Amino acid sequence: MHLEVLAYPFIFLGLYFEVFMLLTFLSAPARARRLRPATDKAPKVAIIVPCWNEESTIGGTVESLLNLEYPKSQLRLILVNDGSTDNTKTVMESYRSNPQITVIHKENGGKHTAINAGIEIASDCEFVGCLDADSFVAPDALREMMAAFEDPQVAASTPAMSVFEPKNLLERMQNAEYIFGIALRHALSAVNGIYVTPGPFSLYRRSVIEKVGGFRHAHQAEDMEMALRMQRAGYEIENAPRARVYTKVPRHVTKLIKQRTRWTTGFLRNVMGDYRDLVANPSYGVLGLLVLPLGFVAVIGGVGLFILALALLGGDLIHTILVTSGVPLTYILMPRFSLEWLYAPVSFITFLSIVVMIISTSFILMGQRVSNTKTDLTMSIIGYALLYGLIAPFWLVRALTDVATGTKRAWR
Amino acid sequence: MPLPLRNALLAFAITVAIIGTVIYAINYLDRQRLAELTAIQTQLATDTLSLETQFSLLENAPCEDLTAGTELSQEVSALGDRLAGAESRLGSKNAQVIDLKKQYTLLQIRDYLLTQQLTKTCHLTPTVALYFYSNVPGTCENCERASYSLSYLHQTYPSLRVYSFDYDLDLGALKTLIAVEKVQQKFPAFVINGKRSYGFTTLEDFETRFPKALFATSTASSTASKATTTRTTK
Repeated sequence: MHLEVLAYPFIFLGLYFEVFMLLTFLSAPARARRLRPATDKAPKVAIIVPCWNEESTIGGTVESLLNLEYPKSQLRLILVNDGSTDNTKTVMESYRSNPQITVIHKENGGKHTAINAGIEIASDCEFVGCLDADSFVAPDALREMMAAFEDPQVAASTPAMSVFEPKNLLERMQNAEYIFGIALRHALSAVNGIYVTPGPFSLYRRSVIEKVGGFRHAHQAEDMEMALRMQRAGYEIENAPRARVYTKVPRHVTKLIKQRTRWTTGFLRNVMGDYRDLVANPSYGVLGLLVLPLGFVAVIGGVGLFILALALLGGDLIHTILVTSGVPLTYILMPRFSLEWLYAPVSFITFLSIVVMIISTSFILMGQRVSNTKTDLTMSIIGYALLYGLIAPFWLVRALTDVATGTKRAWR
Repeated sequence: MPLPLRNALLAFAITVAIIGTVIYAINYLDRQRLAELTAIQTQLATDTLSLETQFSLLENAPCEDLTAGTELSQEVSALGDRLAGAESRLGSKNAQVIDLKKQYTLLQIRDYLLTQQLTKTCHLTPTVALYFYSNVPGTCENCERASYSLSYLHQTYPSLRVYSFDYDLDLGALKTLIAVEKVQQKFPAFVINGKRSYGFTTLEDFETRFPKALFATSTASSTASKATTTRTTK
């Protein structure tokens, strides 16, 4: 049996998931969500900005919140300094005179403690939101988000995230990935399959938080854990595809791997631990039967395919070294055109990978369209197609190793 | 039917349909390749006939006019590449591939004979290497290395003429050649300027089997496209 066969199940499942998401994206419930206008209703909302050493971005974050198209009397901003050691405190204090803004300084206790401190203060608000201090909201984002709460069963709403001013290739690659995520999250909301309420501007019904409890450490994935807890309690999580939020992303590979390792270990530890009962459980519909199991498959498959590719490449390399030994490198490395290339067989995997890539690109373009995100995606898509698959295995392997060995890592 | 269930079933059907289409497309391309083989077969037949004609013409031509006509056309070399591709894709046991190999082998033998004729009549001294390999599993561990080294030598020293033969090919002319050259069933086997040798260890050792004059003819690799009769079909 050729080793390539081992990749077939993963490619099948990847393709199946994409087709499922595409169908859901095109379904009537998703279309209805896309047509849903921003609301003029303005219940009282508190946006909490948990912050740890974000002196350079907190100002921009707060300014973007102050520019939200929402009645000022109905919008509170709660800035929580979670024991920053840089100049964050001073920047925050400069906003204290604004009547909309409450500033809290506390001992460092982790992001979840900072959010909980904010929620406690926002007792007069019907909704509480959370915005990471390295993210910036579009002026109409909150009105778009509020429109998703018409149904009382909706406990939370998620935004359409993209990358803030992507410059280098790595940032652009992540931008394509985030915009892909916009389309996926939008489609998943139509079947209540969302499993994470991201830090950059998710909005919660405060009464639901009171029922299910505040944020927890949850293996450094408090936003995912809260979403899973709400799902388990029978609530729905919505998405507002035009609620644009721009977030800063890692500019260097090492930081990206660190961030994604945290996300992946958070997913694995939560889902394999406290939320194991959701996996493969028909009571949780698409989330239980498709999203969570395939999340595992994606991690295992990513690592497996990476090892498989290494094995195949390694085998080819050893074979080439053996065959060409003794022949000068100038001949071995000489580029030469062979007509044989024109007749090279197109493998099953190559063909299906192209199909998967076409569907992925369609999702990225659809995500851009539904969110009305103004950005040039050419380099982003190229970077995503070429780089993502090369870098992702590193954080997947690292995350799996950390989970297997019980290794805990710092947030940054 | 609930939307998720409907989409799940529909997605399964579409995924299976996509995979079915991909399998069909790959098979279709394979069939196209097989059709290509027929074209190669026709081309080989024409080239064999052309070589026969050249053979007759050159028998009476003055020696100074001969060198231009002794090499097979670039197209034939390309056919050899495609034949090698077809063999790797369809397998060395495919009937059509075997037929093509036989024709190509005949073509090589004719060219080899023509080279020998010219060597005698015009007192030329080309370096000619006959290379015999086997596709039978386990019989020739070093054939791939030998093939690669021969390709390198031919490209580096264009005056070297290499003819590659599948020892196990069931072809009368090839069996006769094997008998005439007294090539034993040990692989890889070489007949270099009439001298038999077996096995392959290193390129350095292999080079000692060639006349020293060959290595004085090294040229730039731009002549690679004239790798006419070099077939390393293994």
